[in-house]
Amino acid sequence: MKPTMEQRQRMTRRHFLGQSSLGLGTAALASLLAKDLKAASPNSQTALQGLTHFAPKAKRVIYLFQNGGPTHVELFDGKPSLAALHGKPVPDSFVSGKRFSTMTGKADGKLMLAPVEPFKQHGQSGATVSAFLPHIGSIADELCFVKSMHTDAVNHAPAISLLLSGGQIPGRPTIGAWLNYGLGTANENLPSYVVMTSVTKNTTCGQIFYDFYWGSGFLPSEHQGVKFRGKGEPVLYLSNPKGVSQAVRRGILDDLSTLNKRQFHDFGDPEINSRIAQYEMAYRMQTSVPELTDFSDESEDTLKMYGPDVKEQGSFAYNCLMARRLVERDVRFVQLMHAGWDQHNSITTELYNQCRDTDQASAALVRDLKQRGLLEDTLVIWGGEFGRTPFIQGKLDDRERWGRDHHPYAFTIWMAGGGIKPGMSYGATDELCMNAVQDPVHVHDLQATILHLLGIDHERLTFKHQGRRFRLTDVHGHVVSPILS
Amino acid sequence: MIRPKLITELSISERPWIRRHQGQTSVWIKMLSTVIGAGLIGTTASTEAASNFDRDIRPILSEHCYPCHGPDAENRKARLRLDTKEGLLGSAGVPGPFVPRNPEGSEALQRILSSDPDELMPPPEANHPLSAKQIALLEQWVIDGAAWQRHWAFEPIATPSLPRPSAPDWVTNEIDLFIQEHHQLNTLEPAPEASREELIRRLTLDLHGLPPTAEAIKAFVNDSRPDAYERLVDRLLASPRYGERMVWDWLDAARYADSNGYQGDRERTMWPWRDWAASEFNRNTPFDEFTIKQLAGDLLPHPTTEQILATGFNRNHMINGEGGRIPEENRIDYVMDMAETMGTVWLGLTVNCCRCHDHKFDPLSQRDYYGLFAFFNQTPVTGGGGDPQTPPVIELPSDSDLTLQRATTKEKAALERTIIAFEKANEERLKQEVNKPDIATILQENLEKRSDAQIDTLVKSLPHSLEAYSSKLKQLKSLRQHLAAIKKRIPKVMVMADRAEPRESFLLNRGLYNNPGEAVSAATPGALPPMPKDASRNRLGLAQWLVADTNPLTSRVFVNRQWALFFGQGLVTTPEDFGSQGSRPSHPRLLDWLASDFRDQGWNIKRLHRQLVRSATYRQSSRVSPDKLEKDPENLLYARGPRYRLPSWMIRDQALAAAGLLVDQIGGPPVKPYQPDGVWADFSFGNKKYKADTGAALYRRSLYTFWRRIIGPTMFFDAAKRQTCVVKASRTNTPLHALATLNDVTYTEAARAMAERTIRGSASDAERLSQAFLWTTGRAPHDEEKAILENRLAQLKERYGSAPAMADALLAEGQHSAAPDLDPIDHAAYTAICSLILNLDETLSKQ
Repeated sequence: MKPTMEQRQRMTRRHFLGQSSLGLGTAALASLLAKDLKAASPNSQTALQGLTHFAPKAKRVIYLFQNGGPTHVELFDGKPSLAALHGKPVPDSFVSGKRFSTMTGKADGKLMLAPVEPFKQHGQSGATVSAFLPHIGSIADELCFVKSMHTDAVNHAPAISLLLSGGQIPGRPTIGAWLNYGLGTANENLPSYVVMTSVTKNTTCGQIFYDFYWGSGFLPSEHQGVKFRGKGEPVLYLSNPKGVSQAVRRGILDDLSTLNKRQFHDFGDPEINSRIAQYEMAYRMQTSVPELTDFSDESEDTLKMYGPDVKEQGSFAYNCLMARRLVERDVRFVQLMHAGWDQHNSITTELYNQCRDTDQASAALVRDLKQRGLLEDTLVIWGGEFGRTPFIQGKLDDRERWGRDHHPYAFTIWMAGGGIKPGMSYGATDELCMNAVQDPVHVHDLQATILHLLGIDHERLTFKHQGRRFRLTDVHGHVVSPILS
Repeated sequence: MIRPKLITELSISERPWIRRHQGQTSVWIKMLSTVIGAGLIGTTASTEAASNFDRDIRPILSEHCYPCHGPDAENRKARLRLDTKEGLLGSAGVPGPFVPRNPEGSEALQRILSSDPDELMPPPEANHPLSAKQIALLEQWVIDGAAWQRHWAFEPIATPSLPRPSAPDWVTNEIDLFIQEHHQLNTLEPAPEASREELIRRLTLDLHGLPPTAEAIKAFVNDSRPDAYERLVDRLLASPRYGERMVWDWLDAARYADSNGYQGDRERTMWPWRDWAASEFNRNTPFDEFTIKQLAGDLLPHPTTEQILATGFNRNHMINGEGGRIPEENRIDYVMDMAETMGTVWLGLTVNCCRCHDHKFDPLSQRDYYGLFAFFNQTPVTGGGGDPQTPPVIELPSDSDLTLQRATTKEKAALERTIIAFEKANEERLKQEVNKPDIATILQENLEKRSDAQIDTLVKSLPHSLEAYSSKLKQLKSLRQHLAAIKKRIPKVMVMADRAEPRESFLLNRGLYNNPGEAVSAATPGALPPMPKDASRNRLGLAQWLVADTNPLTSRVFVNRQWALFFGQGLVTTPEDFGSQGSRPSHPRLLDWLASDFRDQGWNIKRLHRQLVRSATYRQSSRVSPDKLEKDPENLLYARGPRYRLPSWMIRDQALAAAGLLVDQIGGPPVKPYQPDGVWADFSFGNKKYKADTGAALYRRSLYTFWRRIIGPTMFFDAAKRQTCVVKASRTNTPLHALATLNDVTYTEAARAMAERTIRGSASDAERLSQAFLWTTGRAPHDEEKAILENRLAQLKERYGSAPAMADALLAEGQHSAAPDLDPIDHAAYTAICSLILNLDETLSKQ
């Protein structure tokens, strides 16, 4: 290609971006341009420089999303007064005027239920973690527990959507999509937003993983998360058809590239060049993805640390190790979703399996990242879409079927690494774990904080859609500064 | 005439109206100095006056000021309103924030120009400052007299006069006159006409969603009649393939799918509605009639089955059958979805913005929203449960089932008469021979009411002597089962009806179902022309209002989408938003000409499509020089033909057609082509399992593919989700798309069949390669291309020759029957070549 032509193409692209992104965040625009520059020198690491609003503390995020609403009452929020009220009706002042799911209806007169397992203080920070989660307890000094989370939605899909996309109704971009759009892709061989799902074995839970949990909403669809499948090939259509070797494929791609370049000379459409580039990336993914999923280079100790399920594709432990391998390869946003936390009638039964299947690998991931020096600039978040009611769902005399209903007014999450203060707890609920009363953190605040850690001002990362400049945090959100390191 | 200087042409000292703090240089002056001389760019600064409120000023106010000083009364600050003429310019005796010809006395302008951060508007904390160019435009506008105009899209659609052609030779029809005018103003030359091969491929893809056949290409290239092109267009418009292509985008807008969505995602049977919609395009039903039938066919006098079926449009929304959901909350969701879909499809307005509050930018209030909502709120649907055939439904048996059902019902009635007669005549005998109390009870029961289980019991207890009677009973049971099976397979399409007892509608505070405010009645938005006084205040009245001559939006919105269908983008590039935040039309007068012509000539869709494709504008080559590309990178001036990647469904249909696999059966229940194992299961905890069809069902047009809402067909990329209304195609470019067309068995099998077809079609490699190349690109390869393909073919033959097992493996891809008489090495090598051809950018694109 003639150099002048190439230059002109680039100028044109710049013009195009300038024209079409009048309402876009400056970061987005700058990064799109930078991606172009980057394409000129494939190994340069400049994609993040100068584009962000602040110096980023985190370069990558692993969101260990716990679908269903983990019970903060059992797991993290130990409150002696709750145990003291066990079996007694919930005091009116705590629930009056509050909306619960249709399963609870009005909370009046519901009986309080004490946590079924004891709590312990862990590490130097003395964080309270239940005996349900010994491994997480053992890394408490690495973690920051936010105990005053609250949300607006009372049902799963709207609450998950609110947390991941800022809106209860499907159709808005999710956090990973916003980051993809805002920061561009840092990756030459893998998608920069990867999603994996798992569910606890033998659970009765029926929550499904809707694709809008990792959707790009109104952003271009290239920003949506790429879901790695839990069975078979992680990426759809990754392998060549039988009878097409990589050598045959390479030859075909070489010709495709030559023929497409010829077409570009004839027609002058810059899209043709980006098609050539995408075919090449597809080819690289055919190598990089199998290499990613090949655990043979992991030491026995590492595998052991993640627990017995680690080699089982589609398990939470497997996905945790995959998450580490992904961030190691500079994938920016890994969203791991694990279902089964919806204990309406299984606090004394399925909750044990739920913790068994997630506790060890969650802790192992943080340890592993730390050992490899990755925790420093990798943000890990563990938590669900809401908490569970401190009062019982079910009958007090039927211990086997004890349960708790959805509870948007308080829940706990923990974060680690990438710019988060380790070994602290932030915020608190009242003495019955009912309401976030001290330093409440709304899901929009969490979103603002995540963006901040990646160097982005949540008020300035916007996209114009249907005439409005949308942002992840809608018109809300404050960065939770006290938890930043 | 001497044109007054633009602000951007003035130096700072020439702008005396700027109040300045002493010794301070305002930030904007610094900014301004960098843009002075940049001049106005853009494609619309042309025939219109230097200062144009609607074009230049309203967009600035809308973007930067309306959020706090716009139509939304609740969030309006300082009681200042800039979206109305009075608010902006004041009324008799009361000066407004902008004073015509008096920049110094325009308080708003001074605030905008202020260097004091406490005074400055928009406030710095809004993080959305005005650019120097925007400020200059505002100044110029005030100096020019601050003329006010209504938002263009709400103005009546007049028929603009036709521009005089500057180069009449190029012009084929009226469209070209408008396009040429803009070419001229921007000193652009149109591209030469595309070659015949290019034209027939472009046309066939656009009108049929399929590539032209080799025979059709040859016939057209050799057709020397002067009207060869027009004949081709007419032939394509007359084929049933036309409706199959046109309906796709309508299905995206109508959020058509074959399941409910949400948890459970139960299967529904709305496909007769899909087939009806496709056939409407083929029948060329006028768009006004198409509109009325779909929104309110049930309310027409003595509605026909077809008119009722049409209303399925409104029922294509998702249904949430999750436990714990409050039925009324669901019901409200459904009604909102109906109203919002109507708002996007016909009005091109983002009415959903007014669910919770007045519109931030457009003159739509929350009350207006619930006025539209009220039209749909008369549905008898309660919102409870997740029945994918929630009444009202219409049963639509196929002709053969209907015949069978009638015959079987008749047969059953005759049999019942025989049995009843026998039982009556033999009452005593039965009592004696079957002397059991439970049998007596059964016998007393009316025959129709006896359950199958009771009949079984009865049959079992009958003695040998009553064999004939017993076999009649068995026969009855089998007929009943047969009828039940027919009944079950008859599709039930959810349709519209209004409750007998009208339901009161309320404005819902914050859009919450359980937070009703004031009562509202069905009404169209106040900013648009009113419904005729005598129109019924129901969906029928609404539909008639949409297609009334006075409606400024419907025709504009529809022709704009049709333009996009052929040119890749609308004249308004935001087809979903014709409001003040949407794009202005690149060619306002062309849009109005098309819209008025469409409306005045009977809403004739085929006529409109004919106009579009006959234009010289459409027929241009899509080749672009670097200069032209730089001047108009997005082709907003249409000085070249359209070029863009085909929608993924069309890519699949094209591959099937090139392979000779495509089955052209029209309509019917959805089919399940290839999909990798476990995709549905992965999304539904194993509750849904995909079982691909076999045989012909694998090769139907993409239109007929089963669409599961929670996880759409994986072979389509960039497709609308079919969850809510979508009127703008997404067109991205990712490696995942490349993996699909390279590796999906759909394409490998197509390559294999295509290889077989070309091997059988000609004897020499050169001819075979040319042939296969032509099937997708519509042309023979050039010498250089030929050489590359021939070279690759030779290498592939060698490679597969040394690894025959590999060849066999490739030839086993897909269910299409093997070709044992072909040399497997040759066949495999050609298969790889065909896969290459199917992945050429040219194959994947319309150009």
